[in-house]
Amino acid sequence: MTEASERRTDAQGDWEPRIAAFLCNWCSYAGADLAGVSRIQYPPNVRVIRVPCSGRINPLFLVKALQSGMDGVLVSGCHPGDCHYISGNLYARRKFALMKSLLEYVGIEPGRVHFSWVSAAEGVRFAELLHTVIESVRELGPAERMVRRVEAMP
Amino acid sequence: MTEKKEGTKPETPMDARIVSKEDLIAALTALAQDHTVIAPVDDRTGAVFAPTQDAAAVRLEYRNTSLSPKAAVFPQIETLLAFQDGVATETLPEPPETVLFGARPCDARALAMLDRVFQRDGIDDPYVAARRDRLTVIALACDEPGPACFCTSVGGAPDDHTGADVLATDLGEALLMRPVTERGEALLAALDGARPAEAGEIEAAQERSAAAAEKIGRVPVPSEPARLLEAFDSEIWAEIAAGCLGCGACTYACPTCHCFDLTDEHKRGTGRRVRSWDTCALPLFTLHASGHNPRPSTDARLRQRVLHKFAYGPETIDEMLCVGCGRCVSVCPSGIDLRRILARLDGCIAGGGPG
Amino acid sequence: MTVQEQLRHRAAELLADGTIDLFVGYAASDAPLKAAVHVARTAADAEMLTWNSFCAPNVAALLPKLLRRPDGAGEDWAPQRVGILAKGCVSRSIVGLIKAHQIPREAVHVIGVGCDGVVDRHRAARLFTPAAILDAEPLDGDRMLLRGTDGAERTVDLSEILLGSCLDCQHRNAVLADETIGDPVPETGPGPQEDAATSFAARPIDERWEAFEEEISRCIRCYACREACPNCYCTECFAEETEPHWIGVTTDPSDLMLFHLGRAFHQAGRCVDCGACVAACPMGIDLRLLTHKVNRDVEALFGGEASVSLDIVEPLLQFEMTDDEGFITEP
Repeated sequence: MTEASERRTDAQGDWEPRIAAFLCNWCSYAGADLAGVSRIQYPPNVRVIRVPCSGRINPLFLVKALQSGMDGVLVSGCHPGDCHYISGNLYARRKFALMKSLLEYVGIEPGRVHFSWVSAAEGVRFAELLHTVIESVRELGPAERMVRRVEAMP
Repeated sequence: MTEKKEGTKPETPMDARIVSKEDLIAALTALAQDHTVIAPVDDRTGAVFAPTQDAAAVRLEYRNTSLSPKAAVFPQIETLLAFQDGVATETLPEPPETVLFGARPCDARALAMLDRVFQRDGIDDPYVAARRDRLTVIALACDEPGPACFCTSVGGAPDDHTGADVLATDLGEALLMRPVTERGEALLAALDGARPAEAGEIEAAQERSAAAAEKIGRVPVPSEPARLLEAFDSEIWAEIAAGCLGCGACTYACPTCHCFDLTDEHKRGTGRRVRSWDTCALPLFTLHASGHNPRPSTDARLRQRVLHKFAYGPETIDEMLCVGCGRCVSVCPSGIDLRRILARLDGCIAGGGPG
Repeated sequence: MTVQEQLRHRAAELLADGTIDLFVGYAASDAPLKAAVHVARTAADAEMLTWNSFCAPNVAALLPKLLRRPDGAGEDWAPQRVGILAKGCVSRSIVGLIKAHQIPREAVHVIGVGCDGVVDRHRAARLFTPAAILDAEPLDGDRMLLRGTDGAERTVDLSEILLGSCLDCQHRNAVLADETIGDPVPETGPGPQEDAATSFAARPIDERWEAFEEEISRCIRCYACREACPNCYCTECFAEETEPHWIGVTTDPSDLMLFHLGRAFHQAGRCVDCGACVAACPMGIDLRLLTHKVNRDVEALFGGEASVSLDIVEPLLQFEMTDDEGFITEP
């Protein structure tokens, strides 16, 4: 069994990027929902994980997602100043800045790890963001670096 | 005091061989064609045992490695079984024929102890057995002790052959190689360039080892292991363990430590059961699900480690589970020294019971 | 009186007059280049205290263990008062532990001492491999005579074998102390031969990945780095949790990387770069490769250094409206 062998493929069997998106409930998730009800088209490459606040996001989520074989990770929260919990995203901003820098430093391609602010009213922006992120990951190809190769074990 | 083991009794001269170092390199290269050859090679920590194709990279001058070669029979990570959709399959290893070259006599002796830990009344570990059965051990006698060695105090010697199939001694230009088992004899018989050793060469080897033995510091070791248990409730452990960080480095470096953990890794019904080295130095080792921990302090955990080696080992396998390699001393970041602990305990017990 | 003599004298006095119940410091060990961690309870114990360039462990790591509430919630701190010898980094660790409510300020009596740096045994050992170092003798002029098991002898400048952390050190004197012994030393170290994090970051990304994977693959998951670190006081480490099961127990490279990335990240804003993790690692891994990077980022992005003052809130426990947003992806 290998995590990496469960790659997403399209109907033709070609690789498609698979991206985990951690969205805060009050802004970004609502923005994604708005994109949906507005019938704004965006590619299906994203797996959404809803969290109460971007401040809840443990940086290990990102590394764990990459380890599981996700080709890219997106984290999105409320715009600074608009956090439903007042300051969650402000603490998160510091964590994210460090994590982005650390992951790039060890050699994880920066195009795989994305952070963003999307509000509940920004359905269009959400879809545009996904396009940007998906294309950024597509250019890099399937993720190899953090992936846990279970079948290689004795 | 445990009786000091005599060095290897000399085999009759026609059994022991002399192999030049060039021929040795050639022989190891040839063996590497259809064997896995594990030997000491350069590492930033000095030397490390690793599978090697390039026999010229093999080091003979090292004292000892920071990690023992026990991984040859008891690897750090091992899949015991794989499962899928409710069906489990044992994944017994099918290792290639393996030669462990250059293990020091303490490490070879430790392998023999691990044999008895994993194969005794009611216990028959097929994973360890599978690797051990395909393993030939060529031990390399010591002519200089390391800074923390004390093998002679625990029944070992710089030229002990317990656990080895061949015992090699570095004579400078060549190695004296003495077969210990049939497997070892078969290996030597097939070795190109090996010639019978002369009596003088065998003597030279023995002299080297005797000289090495003279340099090894003596450590008082309990002659009646059960007496250590008299000190179980002593306050001496708090004093001994005061600086212990509980980091576990000693247990990972130790050639006789063998405790392990079992972990199931799975994803949607498919997965495997993994055995991994574990350490009694961490509180998690004995933590109950209730939150109670029978060994709540580093005092208790260090006590456990010492007693396992020197009291429980004699109970379970009739031998102290320590070969005096000194790695625990070298590797400890806090400077905790098992030799000092044993001396302290000796004083405590000799003084008539718990201190 | 030498600093060492002052230390022994003061520790004995504090123990005798009941100011403290224990004194945590260092003593001579039988292993070369390494001082033992020593806990003194009596005047006789205090006589064994030493202070020299072999004193590498960060003894603040013992404090939570000595002062923590015993098993069973709701009880007060253990009723002990602990004296401790604190070089600069150790005093910063104490500041960090107090701020994190892991030890009460009033339970520690800090004797500050200026430090010229401590020896990295691995670095010294590399001068003799494959032989081992038999003993070390300090010489005048900040030099050391090393003798190997192969009979070789080398005289080195101390700066050749100091911990990388010591070369970079900006706080060689204690930042928090109830009293000090010895004269203050120049605050900063001799400076690194090269800034490891900057030169690593300058390499192409693919090379960085390979180098990182190679370095971290040496790890044997012994957790010595974690236990040696005063900041790793969690009673349950993320690496050992099974609910959720963050990482496997194996030495698979991705498990190793997750552990070290996680640990380095958890240190953000708190790591004082004492080098105890590097000194403790039996495999000689350069853990500073990660922690130094995180420290530099925290300094650059949020300003300040970790744990130099009880009055400054840790960088990751605060925020500014003007915090950097350069990492944000705009569609």
